[in-house]
Amino acid sequence: MKFTGIAAACLSLLSTACANTSAAGSASSKVVLPSTFKPPQVFNNANLVHIISLEKNYVKESINVLIENASPDPQDEYFLPFTSEQMEKIGGFEVKDRKNSGIVGFTIDAVEFDPSRQLDSDIQFYRIKLPAPLSPKDQQTLGISFYYLHALKPLPASIEQTDKQYLTYAFSAYCHSAYPTLKQKTEIKLPSADVPDYTKIAGNGETKEFPIKQGSKLTYGPFPEVPAGASSPATVRYEFNKPVTHVSQLERDVEVSHWGGNVAFEERYTLFHYGAKLSSQFSRVKWAQSQYFSPQTFALKEMKFVLGAGSKDAYFTDVIGNVSTSRFRVTKREAVLELKPRYPIFGDWKYPFTVGWNADSSNYLKKSGSKFLLKVPFIEGPKQAEGVEYEHVDVRVVLPEGAEAVNFYTTAPETSIIEHSVDIVRTYLDTVGRTVLTIKARNLVDELRDRELIVSYEYSTAAALRKPFVIFTSTMTVFVGMWLLSKLDVSFSTK
Amino acid sequence: MAVGKGANAGSTPTELLVSLGRNQSTKTLLKVIILALIAAAAVASRLFSVIRFESIIHEFDPWFNFRATKYLVANGFYQFWDWFDDRTWHPLGRVTGGTLYPGLMVTSGVIYHLLRFLTVPVDIRNICVLLAPAFSGLTAYAAYLLTNEMTTSSSAGLLAAAFMGITPGYISRSVAGSYDNEAIAIFLLVFTFFLWIKALKLGSVLWGALCALFYGYMVASWGGYAFITCLVPLHAFVLICMGRFSMRLYVAYTTWYALGTLASMQIPFVGFLPVRTSEHMPALGIFGFLQLVAFLEYVRSAVPSRQFQTFLYVGLGGIFGVGLLGLVGLTAGGYIAPWSGRFYSLWDTGYAKIHIPIIASVSEHQPTAWPAFFFDLNMLIWLFPAGVYMCFQKLEDEHVFIIVYALFGSYFAGVMVRLMLTLTPVVCVAAAIAASQLLDTYLQYNSPEVADDKEEESSDGAAKKASKQGALRSTSQPVVGIYNLLSKAFIAGAMTLFLLIFVQHCTWVTSNAYSSPSVVLASRMPDGSQHIIDDYREAYQWLRQNTKEDAKIMSWWDYGYQIGGMADRPTLVDNNTWNNTHIATVGKAMSSREEVAYPIMRQHEVDYVLVVFGGLLGYSGDDINKFLWMVRIAEGIWPDEVKERDFFTPRGEYKVDADASETMKNSLMYKMSYHNYASLFPPGQAQDRVRSARLPDQSPVLNSLEEAYTSENWIIRIYKVKDLDNFGRDHAAAASFERGHKKKKAIKKRGPRVLRVE
Repeated sequence: MKFTGIAAACLSLLSTACANTSAAGSASSKVVLPSTFKPPQVFNNANLVHIISLEKNYVKESINVLIENASPDPQDEYFLPFTSEQMEKIGGFEVKDRKNSGIVGFTIDAVEFDPSRQLDSDIQFYRIKLPAPLSPKDQQTLGISFYYLHALKPLPASIEQTDKQYLTYAFSAYCHSAYPTLKQKTEIKLPSADVPDYTKIAGNGETKEFPIKQGSKLTYGPFPEVPAGASSPATVRYEFNKPVTHVSQLERDVEVSHWGGNVAFEERYTLFHYGAKLSSQFSRVKWAQSQYFSPQTFALKEMKFVLGAGSKDAYFTDVIGNVSTSRFRVTKREAVLELKPRYPIFGDWKYPFTVGWNADSSNYLKKSGSKFLLKVPFIEGPKQAEGVEYEHVDVRVVLPEGAEAVNFYTTAPETSIIEHSVDIVRTYLDTVGRTVLTIKARNLVDELRDRELIVSYEYSTAAALRKPFVIFTSTMTVFVGMWLLSKLDVSFSTK
Repeated sequence: MAVGKGANAGSTPTELLVSLGRNQSTKTLLKVIILALIAAAAVASRLFSVIRFESIIHEFDPWFNFRATKYLVANGFYQFWDWFDDRTWHPLGRVTGGTLYPGLMVTSGVIYHLLRFLTVPVDIRNICVLLAPAFSGLTAYAAYLLTNEMTTSSSAGLLAAAFMGITPGYISRSVAGSYDNEAIAIFLLVFTFFLWIKALKLGSVLWGALCALFYGYMVASWGGYAFITCLVPLHAFVLICMGRFSMRLYVAYTTWYALGTLASMQIPFVGFLPVRTSEHMPALGIFGFLQLVAFLEYVRSAVPSRQFQTFLYVGLGGIFGVGLLGLVGLTAGGYIAPWSGRFYSLWDTGYAKIHIPIIASVSEHQPTAWPAFFFDLNMLIWLFPAGVYMCFQKLEDEHVFIIVYALFGSYFAGVMVRLMLTLTPVVCVAAAIAASQLLDTYLQYNSPEVADDKEEESSDGAAKKASKQGALRSTSQPVVGIYNLLSKAFIAGAMTLFLLIFVQHCTWVTSNAYSSPSVVLASRMPDGSQHIIDDYREAYQWLRQNTKEDAKIMSWWDYGYQIGGMADRPTLVDNNTWNNTHIATVGKAMSSREEVAYPIMRQHEVDYVLVVFGGLLGYSGDDINKFLWMVRIAEGIWPDEVKERDFFTPRGEYKVDADASETMKNSLMYKMSYHNYASLFPPGQAQDRVRSARLPDQSPVLNSLEEAYTSENWIIRIYKVKDLDNFGRDHAAAASFERGHKKKKAIKKRGPRVLRVE
């Protein structure tokens, strides 16, 4: 199987990855700099293409930039500026080399300013450390991608049940950069051609006015040289008649049972629709009618979880019990859990729920001696055409009682992982408790569903036999104790 | 004795037992196994709803108990004890900790903490759901113990346990999810009776104290404890009247009464009731009476009989008179509460309907229909008199108990449906005595030896008494047994058949009648698959997630506990029904015109109104069908403003279609139920499927409320109470002004159609 090959590779990778994480303390360690810090003007952006994709209910931005070392010394630190508001909403920050995908090892750190002093500007930075310093006059193409969560606003903020929902997004026609940009353009990809409003700015050259609208795409630029820190605020308002689903908290538990040969998954979602509110109260008649005539609506009425092959015993519950409107289909290649919430979720409505399922551990667990390797998806949320965003994600991997030497490696964006810890949890007649690996991440989106989490641990046979032994002895003790008690004469009469 | 045991072993139902059951330890082992199997069967037969639906709390009251249990588990016992709940009975609140029977919640709480201590991660909901089945296993065991006190035949005990385990009369209140006080109370009832019999038989303080302890637990668990409080003194009284006063009775009763009363007074909800209400007076009276009798016994042994006669008449008569006068005086003076209304309704079944409609409005307070006895007890109902008759034959102290219990249990079960529950244990015990007698007689494989039987008979004290009535004896108590194999086989076969039918019937009743959670409704799709109608939870979940945390919900009291438990929102009234006026206020709001109802709702800060409407689906338990009770209860408080007659057509019919009376059409309940309903149908075809009535095309107009949510099948409809109008107009004016604007457009669009309708 493919997995075996990966497993071997991962094992070796893990040791290095874990060494890294342990050295850094935490994956998302922030660099604290004095508030007077200004990035040294050592780079030029020779060419920059900024793509803002609004096709889903979160914002995906990618900046493809050709950077050039303009200083006489080799440089390896490239800074990208953001406002503090953006820093809160940003997630999944990743950097690749566009020309040569073989170049890996970009280190990304959020730069934090010394909080003791008042800041004169709102600008903060992500620092990208290049794998190898760029010598003077050399060029490198960076592909920077990240997401903004909760950055879209419905306009009008409240609409009728059968109306179409429009969202707005505020951005800058010039890409924010800490360096002068010689040539750039900004492309906006929209879900449909229905774009009633967008900011128009004066053009240059042969184009009179930006943007150029081609179907569902807006293009600002190309612009000539722009100094560092330049910005040109713009907004776009576009039709998005789909739910704007926001999961403020996702708790994902993965529980490994060696005795049962089972991996149990449970996910608890705190789901919220932050799209347009209903301007009048919900009408069941209209809803029933619209289900027949125009099923496209901005209310969330169905979710589809595509689970791994061999998943079984799926359930869908909320605070007051099982939600009967779910279907679970199993085919050879995959298992699909289709959920219908108890009610359609409109803007400003909440719906917390829980889903869970079991899977055969042979699909996820590999063994070599007393070493085990668990490979599970980092997140597995619903697969929605319109997308789902996750503000806080807590992944808990509950390993068997007595598992030791826990290490992990994940392909999820390193910048999104806030912290991780290994604790002990007692459950199901445990004596010493189970080893639990907790990973906290923030600002993830459902495009990262294919990212994996690999956990390695050691688990001896003695540890596996602990529980049967404990239960056997304690039951024995109870029986023997009862027997001894029954032999005791507690009556008053002496006879 | 040894011979008796040998005979018993031979008489147990299976042939296997005959060969194996000769030695004592094998018999014990077999009994343990059989009892374990009975307990398992009892638990298993209660799990229909969990398997068919899910692990869910059923119906109405259990939702409160569940909520209270969660509160107890989350906040600890002392917080629970002092719990003032401001989320019910808005704006009054309820001193919940002092007005509930905590036994059930504490039991689940203890189990929960025990399991947590053993690090078993069990959800409190699952404990609550499975508590009743688990206790039914214990009840079966308690029935076994109680029956064993009645007869020497151990097969009777096992049969009683089996009957108790699966009889529908008990299952009706103890299926999984039926998390009500009765879930543990029936076990406590039977076990307390067992301990009482034991204490009485042995005259033992230890057993008397144990009896008092379990009586205290019972008091902490269920209001039905009054049944024990009355039955035990009655038993004692009957025994004294029969001239069977003994020191055993004296010791057992005084121990039970003194300790039991003290124990019962520890429950805040009971408090000083045992010395202040008439229901508890028999126990106190008999306690005093016993002291007197004991004193008299002493005097009789000390003085000559001539003087004793005089002493008896003067002393006893005087004290009895003083006691009675004292009771009457204290009652008149208000120190002792007279019988409560609920108690009166036990004697006069028409009483509640006239004086306390709220009691009469509960279906389980209705008099029992005759078929219900057969439905709930099946063959036990005809074995029951036979068993009671056999008790008459033996007629020792404990048999008198069964007779007294049978008499009163039957009466109460006839008066109120829910009291079928208290009858069931004695039916099981008596029926088991009768059935085992039959089986013991007919399942002897070997033809009896004359000498053997005579010996057995002489060892049996009761048989001697019965032998005085020669005629009866020859028919019921065979001298030697049955010789003919054919008649043995025939009776045994018939009995087996009856037992099998009984099991089949119990399973059928449990599965069809008692296993519906009533929160979730099930129906069948055309292809035969199960379709679940989950409107209640859909609407409650919507309320829980999408309304303010403290939004007050007004609904009829039936749904109060569910709203509290599932939607977690404050309610005006709930199933506790402690304040009749408050319920009548809600009834008045529901049954009045909008102009009357709106100020009531404003005064009670109501944010949402919830009604249950079954018209679309044909769900008959909806609010329109309960509406007359609302009217009656409101009429009880405001006879001038709400009149039941006005809700009927001039011909005296209760109608919801175009012929409905004006009062009916203008009532808030009617409007909320049918608001917008006609728009779901093509013109002229709007239909109410519960009352099979054709509705007018024009839906009722609501001015002061707006529809906030309607569940998928329209079972739950939630309305939001509009805020005051910004311009100070009343809602009718504001709404008609708004409609005035829209009307023109509407007419333009489909003018001719509107004309045709009018």
